Amino acid sequence: MSGEQARKLTVLVAIWALLLLAPYWMPPLGGYTALGTRVLVLGLAAMSVNFLLGFTGVLSFGHAAWFGLGAYGCGLMLKFIALSTPLGLIAGTVLGGVMGGLLGALIVRRRGVYFAMVTIAFGQVFYYIAFQWSSLTGGDDGLRPFSRQPLHLGFATVDILSDATAFYYFVLFCFALAVAIMGFILRSPFGRTMLAIRENERRARFLGIPVERHIWIAFTLSCFFMAYAGSLYALVNNFADPRGLHYSQSGDFVIMAVMGGMRSFWGPLLGAAVFVVLQDYLSSVTINWMSFVGLLFVLVVLFFPRGLLGVIRRKSEA
Amino acid sequence: MTQLLLFNVTNGLIIGAFYVLMALGLSLILNLSNVINFAHGGFLVIGGYIAYTITPYVGFWGALLIAPPLTAVIGLAVERVLIRPLYGRDPLYSLLLTFGLAFIIEDGTRFIWGAQGKPVTIPAFLAQPLSYEFFFITGYRLFMVAVVLFTVALLFLLLRYTRLGIRIRAGTLDLETVSALGVNVRALRSLNFAVGIYLAGLSGVLAAGQLGLEPTMGAGVLMPSFIAIIVGGVGSLTGTLLGGLLIGVASGLAAVFLPAASEAIMYVLMAVVLLIRPRGLLGEEGMMT
Amino acid sequence: MSLLEVRNATKSFGSLVAVRDVSLSVRQGELRAIIGPNGAGKTTFFNLISGFFPPTSGTVTFDGKDVTALSVTKRVQLGMARTFQITEIFPELTVHENVRIGAEVAAGYRLRPWISRTEAEKVERTIEETLALIGLSAKANRLVGELAHGDQRAAEIAMALTLRPKLLLLDEPTAGMGDQETYEITQLIRRLHRDSNFTIVLIEHDMRVVFHLADHITVLDQGKLLAEGTPQEIGANEAVQAAYLGKAA
Repeated sequence: MSGEQARKLTVLVAIWALLLLAPYWMPPLGGYTALGTRVLVLGLAAMSVNFLLGFTGVLSFGHAAWFGLGAYGCGLMLKFIALSTPLGLIAGTVLGGVMGGLLGALIVRRRGVYFAMVTIAFGQVFYYIAFQWSSLTGGDDGLRPFSRQPLHLGFATVDILSDATAFYYFVLFCFALAVAIMGFILRSPFGRTMLAIRENERRARFLGIPVERHIWIAFTLSCFFMAYAGSLYALVNNFADPRGLHYSQSGDFVIMAVMGGMRSFWGPLLGAAVFVVLQDYLSSVTINWMSFVGLLFVLVVLFFPRGLLGVIRRKSEA
Repeated sequence: MTQLLLFNVTNGLIIGAFYVLMALGLSLILNLSNVINFAHGGFLVIGGYIAYTITPYVGFWGALLIAPPLTAVIGLAVERVLIRPLYGRDPLYSLLLTFGLAFIIEDGTRFIWGAQGKPVTIPAFLAQPLSYEFFFITGYRLFMVAVVLFTVALLFLLLRYTRLGIRIRAGTLDLETVSALGVNVRALRSLNFAVGIYLAGLSGVLAAGQLGLEPTMGAGVLMPSFIAIIVGGVGSLTGTLLGGLLIGVASGLAAVFLPAASEAIMYVLMAVVLLIRPRGLLGEEGMMT
Repeated sequence: MSLLEVRNATKSFGSLVAVRDVSLSVRQGELRAIIGPNGAGKTTFFNLISGFFPPTSGTVTFDGKDVTALSVTKRVQLGMARTFQITEIFPELTVHENVRIGAEVAAGYRLRPWISRTEAEKVERTIEETLALIGLSAKANRLVGELAHGDQRAAEIAMALTLRPKLLLLDEPTAGMGDQETYEITQLIRRLHRDSNFTIVLIEHDMRVVFHLADHITVLDQGKLLAEGTPQEIGANEAVQAAYLGKAA
């Protein structure tokens, strides 16, 4: 048991060391810091999807809606109301999270494929709103211009706008905050009821867990995490785009989670890293990158359904 | 005004008929195999492009007869090789697989036939308006509706009276029992999948004649088909039929009064239905959980 | 006073009547067995008691409260726990984790984002006591999904016990088990009844188990109440013998 804990601690230290040192080891390997920032944000989004998918066993295929709403909330705040990065983050997180929670209450009784379908379809509602309401959102061209603002900490000002490394560390800080909360919830009694529902809904119900209410809470929490990630994404790009709400974006998040390993906490981050780097590379070498991404989906489903971490874990156990 | 209204309602019905064909295919596959076929729009595109390719040799009528079964054969191959291994696993996997497949099909058609739209020539006598006053009712549109009506009627008869159809319906309700009765469930699912894809292929041919062809058109009809199923109630084919027509007409009407909302109206309709009747118009109680 | 009182319960699915006008009264501390040939409506009747679905007509009273319209969750909170014919567990979690979820829910912590050290220790004590009672202490850190069938069943009963139920409903606890496992589960149920004073209602096919354990036996046939009485009375009842022999013939 203590060997297991030591192993976990080692992995944890390794992950954080890698993340903290990314601006130093990425460029020599041909990466660039901004790519690292994108991995963090999309990884956080994939982990938020997995909070629901991997740990509660509920398949939402419309989570990009909350991600995109977060981005728009953040962008609108920065563009129209206040030039403040923290306020932008809060606005985006609240907008996406609250909308997600409201919708969740409507659909939480659905299950399985039906739940997936309803989440896809409702996700598209927000896509169309962002697309059609051009006077507010900029429509198909996206929301611009706005930009993240330097952070005023009282004793110092951090220029996260033009200093890519400073921005990376800002995003890493935000990422760490969300991930810590997520991990904390998953280790709580409530988090264990999520696992119970994933493992066996009937048994969970017959232990006295009001399953629908717990799924709704998990769904809403996951929407808040998602919207938070979306807000960060708006800061990364200084831009918000309707495609960020589209169901194909949801599909990307789900495949990141599955590719990395749904059953593991960090798997989706790994999945996001592989996905982002691959997409970055493919779109630079071929115009048919869509086919390759599609092929990736097919291959992951057929050959790596337990994800990269699942494969590694199984190997190490064997 | 009356004419405009009529124009848009007719339009809505025709679009609705499309949605119905697509949604029925999706529904068949969903009900029996618990697979959300994201690539369904892709099969519509394949059907359309096959028709486009063979029309110069066999004519429009030939294409109408040949393209859908060819599409179904491709669908059958896909089901055998890619989807069959996923039955019995979390529906997440088949969803992701067909999702990727939709990408591949869209990109593939673009690679083979180009990104530009392609017209499919329809027989001249069908292209004529039927009357000067109602210029929008072309022979082709009437013809399309007739084909859809005929196909849907045939499908429902097949499901009600043939052995295959009865097995499909029984399997939808209780697959285990059907399997215990000695029905080959694998073959049943394959055939059922092929029927669903046939309908997508047929939609593709019909759509090609009306709208021309584009690689992205599959994704465009997918969402309305989903909504048709949700509105009608998962598990009920009659519901799907009703749902498709309803959202078609609703978006037709919205186009008259609030053009920007013609797409959004479907979603509003869905939200209202789910609020008032969570299982959809004709959904079975047992299907919802 | 009786702990569980079912009055004139009927359940029909469309034209099929699975349970017809069945009444049942279980005393505090009793061990009641429900038997009957296949298709007699035993599990349907169980589902009515535990709230899996509501009866078409009739009432269920539990611990002095009319629970006919209450959800499963509410009934569990009132002190009704059950196991299933096909074991329902959390396969990818360890025995300890399985039982812990039950213990935490029972302690009222299910919505807590954290629990204090004392609360955690209290939960841990419940888990240890339950595992000791059920005889699974040695296997606490094994994944439940990897255990033998009998141990899985024991783990399911352990989860139900963490709820400290007033009434324990066991649906065919020995289903699919060999002689040795059947014997062990029977001994376990006997201990729970005799030593820990649990009130238990169980459905059972194995007549050795039934006659060994039960204070009272209720016999259902074709959805109807056929007979009720002590094991001696049921053993001598001609209608019961006819029902079983009739099926066998």
